[in-house]
Order: sequence, then C-alpha cells, then structure tokens
Amino acid sequence: MTTIDTPRQDVLDSTASTDNYLTHTRGFLSWILTLDHKRIGVMYTVSVLVSFLVGGMFALLLRTELLTPGRTICSAEAYNQFFTLHGAIMVFLVIIPSIPAALGNFVLPIMLGAKDVAFPRLNLFSYFLWLGGAGFTLYSLAAGGFDTGWTFYTPYSTTTTTGGVIPVLIGVFILGFSSIFTGLNFIVTVHKLRPPGMTWFKMPLFLWALYSTAIIQVLATPVLAITLCLLIVERVLNVGIFNPSMGGDPVLYQHFFWFYSHPAVYIMIVPAMGIISEIIAVHSHRQIFGYRFIAFSSIAIAMFSFIVWGHHMFMSGQSGLMNTIFSFISFSVAIPSAVKTFNWTMTLYKGTISLTAPMMYALSFLFLFTIGGLTGIHCATLNTDVHLHDTYFVVAHFHYVMMGSALIGMIGGLHHWWPKMTGKMYNEKIAITACIIVFIGFNMTFFTQFMLGSQGMPRRYYDYQPEFQIYHVISTIGSYILAIGFFTSAVCFIQSLMSGAKAPSNPWGGVSLEWQCASPPPHDNFKTTPHVGNCYDFSVVRWDEATKNYIVDHKAELAHSTSEGSH
Amino acid sequence: MLSIATAILAQAAPPAVTPADFWLPIGASVQSGNVDFMFNMINYICYFFFAVVVAMMVVFVVRYRGKRGTRIRTDGITHHAVLELSWSVIPLLICIFIFFFGFTGYVDLITPPKNSYDVNVTAIKWGWQFKYPNGAQSDNLVVPSDCPVRLVMRSNDVLHCCFIPAFRVKKDIVPGRVTSLWFQCNIPTGLEEKDGYHLFCAEYCGTGHSNMNRRVFVLPQAEFDAWLTKQAAWLDEIPDEELYFKAGPKIYARCSQCHSIDGTEGLGPTWKGIWTRITTPSGARFSDGKSYADFIGPGKEYANAEEYIRDSIYNPGKHLVATFGNVMPTFKGQLNDRGVEAIIGMMQHLDEFDAKGAYAKTPPAAQK
Repeated sequence: MTTIDTPRQDVLDSTASTDNYLTHTRGFLSWILTLDHKRIGVMYTVSVLVSFLVGGMFALLLRTELLTPGRTICSAEAYNQFFTLHGAIMVFLVIIPSIPAALGNFVLPIMLGAKDVAFPRLNLFSYFLWLGGAGFTLYSLAAGGFDTGWTFYTPYSTTTTTGGVIPVLIGVFILGFSSIFTGLNFIVTVHKLRPPGMTWFKMPLFLWALYSTAIIQVLATPVLAITLCLLIVERVLNVGIFNPSMGGDPVLYQHFFWFYSHPAVYIMIVPAMGIISEIIAVHSHRQIFGYRFIAFSSIAIAMFSFIVWGHHMFMSGQSGLMNTIFSFISFSVAIPSAVKTFNWTMTLYKGTISLTAPMMYALSFLFLFTIGGLTGIHCATLNTDVHLHDTYFVVAHFHYVMMGSALIGMIGGLHHWWPKMTGKMYNEKIAITACIIVFIGFNMTFFTQFMLGSQGMPRRYYDYQPEFQIYHVISTIGSYILAIGFFTSAVCFIQSLMSGAKAPSNPWGGVSLEWQCASPPPHDNFKTTPHVGNCYDFSVVRWDEATKNYIVDHKAELAHSTSEGSH
Repeated sequence: MLSIATAILAQAAPPAVTPADFWLPIGASVQSGNVDFMFNMINYICYFFFAVVVAMMVVFVVRYRGKRGTRIRTDGITHHAVLELSWSVIPLLICIFIFFFGFTGYVDLITPPKNSYDVNVTAIKWGWQFKYPNGAQSDNLVVPSDCPVRLVMRSNDVLHCCFIPAFRVKKDIVPGRVTSLWFQCNIPTGLEEKDGYHLFCAEYCGTGHSNMNRRVFVLPQAEFDAWLTKQAAWLDEIPDEELYFKAGPKIYARCSQCHSIDGTEGLGPTWKGIWTRITTPSGARFSDGKSYADFIGPGKEYANAEEYIRDSIYNPGKHLVATFGNVMPTFKGQLNDRGVEAIIGMMQHLDEFDAKGAYAKTPPAAQK
C-alpha cells in the first residue's frame, strides 16, 4: 500500500503548511496577548537571548578588567557591580528560564500531542512576570546598581550603600513567581494532557527532565521568595533577622538562600540533560540506551538536590557534623550523573550518527559535563574543599556545569528545534564552525581557571598577585574567542531567518511527536490527537532524498508498538 | 583495604615544604601533604573516567558515523542491566572511598592540638589585625615555627574569610561569632616580604576585598619571642613629640583605603583641610544638616575637636558627614589612646606628609 510511505496527512495538508502559528494571526497585539504556547516560547527565547547578550557583555568587561593586576579598565566598585550583574542576569534571567520556559514551552505540548499547556493564560502571565522581573532588574541599574554578589550575602547586602539592592530583590522575587507558575503549568500538563497510549515510560526523556525540573521549581522557589522578603524587611525596616548587630544570624541567611539556590542548580542542568537525551538519540538514530535509568536518574537528581545545600557552606562555620553529612549526600549526586553520562555514551554505540550542529553541541556537552561533574568530586571532598572553596576552582567547576553544560545544552536544543520553531534551515557548516569556536574558547577560558583556583586565587577579586597573570591572560583571550563563537552562531541564525531554506517536517529523523507535525507547526499543533508509538524506535525512520526529509513509517511503527506491548 | 589506604596516607606524610606543581601551590604546613595527596588521588580518578568517556565517545562517533540516507542500524541494544548497575555501583563505591578519606583528612585538618598557640584575628573592611597574648599587634601574621598555631577570628562588620593557600587552610569569619582555624609550619621564612606566604580574604566583602591580603611570616621560636616583645612596645617606645610622624603613617596605611590626604575622593571624607573644617563654624556639614560647630565646643557634645576625632574613630556611625554612607567600621580595641593621638597629630600636621601619607619633612630632631 502506498499509504505506508506517505507522511502524516497533517504534514502534507496544504493548509497546514501555509497556515502556521507564525502566520495564524498578525500584529503586535496578537503576539503580546497570545495564549499560544509556541509564541510564548518564542518570546521567551528572544528575551532570554537578549539577556544572555547583556550578561555576556558584563562577562567580557570582567575578563578585560582582569587582563592585568590592578586597574585595567574600571574601578573596583564598577568591577564588583559587573560581576554581581553578570551572575544575577545569567542565573535569574537566562539559565533558569532558558530551557523550561523558552524551549520547554515550545516543545512540551507538541511532544505530548496536545494543543497547548494546561493553563495557557497562566503561561502568558508567567511571561509577563518575567518581563516585570527583568524590568525591576534593569531599573536597579538606574537606581544605583548593586554590588552584593548574586548571592546577596548578609550583612553586606543589608549595609552596602549601592541603591539598586531593593529593586533587584523585588525583581528576583517576581522572577521566582514566573518560574513557579511555569513549573506548575508543566506538572499539570504532563499529568493531564498525555495522549492515549503515552504512559509515563513512553514519554520522551525531555519531558521527564522538564517534569523533574518543574517539581523543583514549585517546591524550592517559594523559599527564595520568603528569603528575599526577609532581606528586604531587614534592609528597609531594620528588623534584625540576619544581621548580628541587630540580633540576627548571617549563617541563617546562607541556609535559606542555598535551600533554594542549590536545587536551582538542577533547575538549570536537568532540562539540559533532557535535551541531550533527545539530541543524542535522534541524531544517532538509535534507541536511547537505558531509558529507565535515565528517567529515574532525573527524578533522583531532583530529590537529592534538596538535601545537599550545605556543601555551599563548608567554610561558613556550620558544625563539622553538618559538613560531614552534607559531604556524604553530595557524593550521591555523582551516581545519577554518572549513569546518565555512560548511558548517553552507550547510545552512540551501534548508532547511525549524523554529525549535525545539534549533535556537535551534544558531544561538546558530554565532554564539558564530564569535566564539570568530575571536578565536583574535589569540591564535595571535605579536606580538598577547604583549599578550593571560594577560589577560581569553584568558578571553573560551576561554569563547566552551568555554562558548558546547561547553556550549551540550551544552544544545542535551539539548533535541534530551530527548523521546527522557524520553519527555516540554517547553514550547517557555519553552525558547526560556531560550535567548534565556542568549544575551544570555552575550554581556554575556564580550564585555566581550575589552575588559578587550585593555585590559590580567590574568586571575586578585582586585583590579584602578579604570579596569576598568565592564567588570567589566557582566560581572557579564551573569553574573546568564546564571544566570537556565539557571534558566529548569531549570524548563522539571522541568516537562516532571512534566507534559510524551508525546513521539512523532520530534518533530523526524530520519532517523537514534534517531528510529525509541520515546520513550523500549525496553530493547533495537531488536528486530531496523534498516534503514539515508541518515540525512540528509529527502525521505522527512513531518509527520503526527494523531499530531503525523514519519513516515519507509521504502519511499521504501529506493528512495532503492538508487538512490544504484547510481551 | 582501609588499613592499606591508611598506610599509604601515612607514607605520604609530607616533607616540610612541597614545591608548587601544575595544580597546587607550595605546601608548607604539616597538614598540606595529606590534602595534596587527596587532591592528586581524586585527579587520577578523574583522569581515568574522563579518558574512558571521551575515548568511548570518539571511537563510537568515528565508527558509527552514518551520513543521511545510510540505512539506519537496528542492532543496538536498548539496555543492559548488568552494565548499568555496574556503572552505578562502581562510582558509588569510589565515592564512598573518597568521602571517607576526605572526612578523616578533614577531621585532622580542623582539629587543633591541645597545646596550640593562639593568635586573635580581627577582620575588618578591608584589613586584618593580629593580636598576640602579650598585647602586641601586627598587620601581617607572624607565627612561631614548629608549633601549632590557632587563629581565633572575629569580624567587626561583614563576612570575611581567612585563606592561606600554602597551608591549605580556610575558614569564614562571621560577624557575631568566633571561628577558628589552625596550622603548623616547620620551615621559618624570615620577615622579608617576598618570603612570606599569602593570606587572602576569600569571602567577598566589598570595594577593597581583593586588597585584603597580607603575608604570613614564620620565625623560629627564639626570634619570634624577640619580635613579639619588640612589637608589643612599638607605640610606647616612640617619644610623645615624635608620635605623629613615626606612628602616624603606619596607622594611616589602614585609613588610606577610604580617606585620602591629597583631596582625592574616597569612600570617606578626605583628610585634606580636616583640622580647619572641624575647628571653624562654617566647616563641612553633616547628613542631618548640622555643622561641626553644633556639637564641638565647650559645653557641647564634644569639648574639643580632639574629642570629636577620637569618638569618630571609635563610634564612626554617630555623625555622618553629608553625602557619605555609614560604612566605616569601629576601631575600638584596635587603636589605643596613643594610636589615636598619633592620628590626631598627623591630621594637625598634614602639610608635612606627601600624598601617600609618608613623612616628607626632615624630622624636627634631625634639624637640631
């Protein structure tokens, strides 16, 4: 029968290809008041990328200042504001919303074969909250900036004379609610809108990751909100909560802060792990190795994330017993991380690997995450951490995880779903070149910082001893290369938008549902709730040279899934 | 297995100073050897796993690369319980092993011997004060060799952190609490600036954070005792009339982070012309709108300008000069009466000092 070879009806449907979510309605208001998860996802993506540009500019200023000991381009006060802004913007405005709110919003409902998230209005409200939070953060600059470090440690944050502290605290408070509502939305969507046939263990792993993340967002972020409120109360009303001169306790603040901010690390990395599971499976065209172990490890990481916060406080004066307990539990995070890493690597075994741009980013992720994860052992081990705590070693470690892994994962995901989001292909050669430049620049910037740290250079230093200069120079040159890499990537995307070839529905050969709807997807994603098979069974996929598209053979898929179900 | 590893750790007991290598700086304390051993052991474990992951990745990508249009292989296995359990359990065992030795090493690292020599440390934005049992004070940390030294640390303002890389020790200093760390160094360094070990503040504390570093000097017990006796008496040994130019510049080094004497703007008011400002009614104003004349003078809050300066050093937040924030820490307990006297004398004779606070005139004694 010829229908076997025919792609889905909705893909070939002529209305589907002309009427898509981008052209469905027009005008500024149709975007800003949209309830369409895809448009909200796109708005988040643009906003996050703009914030990334701003945060990145601050990073370049920091690196340039550190080219020489003493003053290079700015004063110590300015430097302290720059690193604070760099941290706050990258954490709260970029990495936390980057994958769940930007890519997750776009992909999650389509992967579920749903028309939208469970609460589309709440979703739009989340975006406006993000805008409001970003607005307050921006306003804090006009109000005199803030030099507290992104951690807002007391009593410095309650006594510093910079005027932007209260506005940014309000901003982060609001951003927290944006994050909570997105999480809530995703939890309900995954529970309620899975299509018939998609059991929990048939969900794409990206959904497991988003689901785990959403749980952390909903449970942990309120703690941050309360902590920031208390900080504002102390600063404005002089009520002694954290400041010892008024009877408070600064270590209490650190407990509160890290009770959120450690889980927040996993809000950043777990969704990236989900993306990597998707990219590696799809671009290797190979059943993901050890699906259940990967799915459970996401949940395990989400759970462990709540009970390891004390490892940020090994030097803070908390008791030795507490340090010992937190050290022990911190090691437990290594296990699910190791499982994931090995399972991803094994997925390559006997695959049919296309070295596409998303795959290059995924391989970069594997390389960088392995370094970032392994150096966590040095920091979790009590006696070596005494030496490494608060040095550049820690800076390098968390950049390998937060940037080399979480952000590279996000950029990889953006390349992966770009054809779906925009309906355009990009120039693969430029994209891969950009990825290689980013990879080289990243390692040059941050690997040197491991040595800086283990040699004893403390972090957040404006001035430093001359013997550290050589490392700083290499690191700064690396950061410029990194910037060139991202710039190349931006050029690639802009060129794609202007003159990219039309994207087919399934350019990579994926089986999960988003590859079975048109690129870009129509307003309602699917006309009817689509059929769900095994989203990692690539034996049903074949390349069609005529349409330059991968085609999913649904009859074979159906046969496979029923035979699987029968045993 | 544990006993073997303990034996290895004991074997690795350090020579006195381990030279800097690719990863670690000079190690000079009795504790540094164990920390370095642990660091290097973890490194080797990391090298191994990193090599395994990257090798697998590269081999598989090269071996199983398939361009678009290649028939998709379907012979890959989907899961393998033994394999997956093994790479859960083996890392778990390794982690428990590392945790255990990290823990026992940590206990040794932070537990001071009973006979330790205590030095009181005050951290303050942005400097250190080291106080010794005989009342001596020092800006740099000077300690006896072959003797366990315990730093008993307090902060006068915000969080700080004492970090001595060469000794592999670090501890936060929390306002409102007393924290401590200990070390023992068996190799004397002398008092030359270049020979001293770095002591850094490792917890962000504001503008001068990165300049809040000092040197640690280690002296043989006899030399240390001599230094200590001399140090305790340095302010008292200076005759009264020479106090302001002999002790003044030394003390001013701390003040100079915020107060210039050449009129440059700083975090605090410049000292240039300060004595005139204080002693004339039309002088600078305070943030509450009052002028100096409102509370300096007979029968007022301060009988004279000297009284006012003294109180500004001990209770800096009481009267704020207009446009300046309440950021100055108190120097109560750090600067005694003679120290304050030296500062006041210096303010009264500012024209005799250069822009950096060095005495720029021939001392009156030499003129005779």
